[in-house]
Amino acid sequence: MSAHNDGLPDDPAGMQLMIHALVDGELDAAAALAVERRIAADPALAAEHARIAALQTVVSGLPRPDVREDFKARIAAIGTAGTEKVLSAPAPAARVLPAHRAVHRFGAFDWRALAASIIVTAVLASGATQWMMLSRAPDSFAAAVASGHRRSLLAASPVDVVSSDRHTVKPWLDARVGLSPPAPDLANDGFTLLGGRVEVIADRTVPALVYRHREHLITLVAAPEETGSTSGPVDLSAGGFSLVHWTDSAFSYWAISDTERPELDDFVDRFRAAAAR
Amino acid sequence: MPGDATVLNQEAAAERFREVVLPHLADALALARWLTGNAADAEDVVQEACLKAHAGIAGYAGGNARAWLLAIVRNACYSWLARNRPRSIVAVGDLSDLDDMTAAYGAGLPDTDSPEASLIAKADTAALEAAIAALPQQFRETVVLRDINGLSYREVAMLLGVPLGTVMSRLARARGLLISQLGRAP
Repeated sequence: MSAHNDGLPDDPAGMQLMIHALVDGELDAAAALAVERRIAADPALAAEHARIAALQTVVSGLPRPDVREDFKARIAAIGTAGTEKVLSAPAPAARVLPAHRAVHRFGAFDWRALAASIIVTAVLASGATQWMMLSRAPDSFAAAVASGHRRSLLAASPVDVVSSDRHTVKPWLDARVGLSPPAPDLANDGFTLLGGRVEVIADRTVPALVYRHREHLITLVAAPEETGSTSGPVDLSAGGFSLVHWTDSAFSYWAISDTERPELDDFVDRFRAAAAR
Repeated sequence: MPGDATVLNQEAAAERFREVVLPHLADALALARWLTGNAADAEDVVQEACLKAHAGIAGYAGGNARAWLLAIVRNACYSWLARNRPRSIVAVGDLSDLDDMTAAYGAGLPDTDSPEASLIAKADTAALEAAIAALPQQFRETVVLRDINGLSYREVAMLLGVPLGTVMSRLARARGLLISQLGRAP
């Protein structure tokens, strides 16, 4: 075969790549014309071109997976859930408030109050404090807990560790977030422990337990309690979810579910009784 | 701390997510279906990828939104495979071996056993799908990204992180294997 002066590769492999590129519309007009001339002059190249074009047509014409409506809705909800979380995030004023409380606890001496406020200012800059503040602003934290629960309902699995055995769940959480809340077995009371997961709320990881009651999931987020104060259950339900918050000496708890309030209250009572034992 | 500006940014991000991600779900599912091997797993993987896409929507700097999403889907597929099907990621040897093989195949042109173009055009959908599924993974993802997802050579090269020439040789090799496979069918 005589040498071509069209700038195209002379070896068969290189020429074959050019034919693929022609079929894929990747060549500029001049190169495309040159390749077409070669194809016209060579029956073997013409046959190869026809095969590649035929294959390209059938492969690109393969039936596409259809996007089911409920799947599309699930994906669309990812965007919405993220917005809601931030929209209901705390106003800056709500976070400043606990700083004053912290200063007060340091008593009457001016220098201590001053020192304390310096410390408070210093830690304010760190993410860790942001968490401490948040944990004392239950409303904003609750909004984040609610978002986490809603997202878990969208996910393939609401739990990261699947186990009805608290002796599995507690070490798993302990290994990941360095603490684990009580995880009593309430199966006899109608609340089955499904497992646990790690929630990221206000840039901190906190353990969450997931219980099932009939067809409903209950997410229980437990944040370490810093103040040492305890409080009874407070109803924070909103937006179609039941949400109850309470505090014991070690943890601040948020229980959220789409079940009815009386059933969630029942869960909270039983959980608190079991955790206190 | 999230002030009003952040809230607005988040609203913009949600809007962006709707514009960038939702129109390309069919492509995302198609890629995931070919990389994971079945449609049910593809939905799980795409959902996971969309969560990542949502978290990283600020990193989308314009350009082909489909290619951007597909890159995330591809990563999610391989994490998923590593987690759930550790054996399915078969090492095909070093990638340079693969490309040597590609060159060797190309040199054999024209293949006298190649089927007529008309036979390929009439190929049975099931036979074609089986042939694609049987391709080595690097070849399969290249041909799927090009012919099923409709990306350009350059977009495929960027997505896979390989030179343009490698995309071209893998594509030629993949199509060559499909052609000879279809020629073998009755």
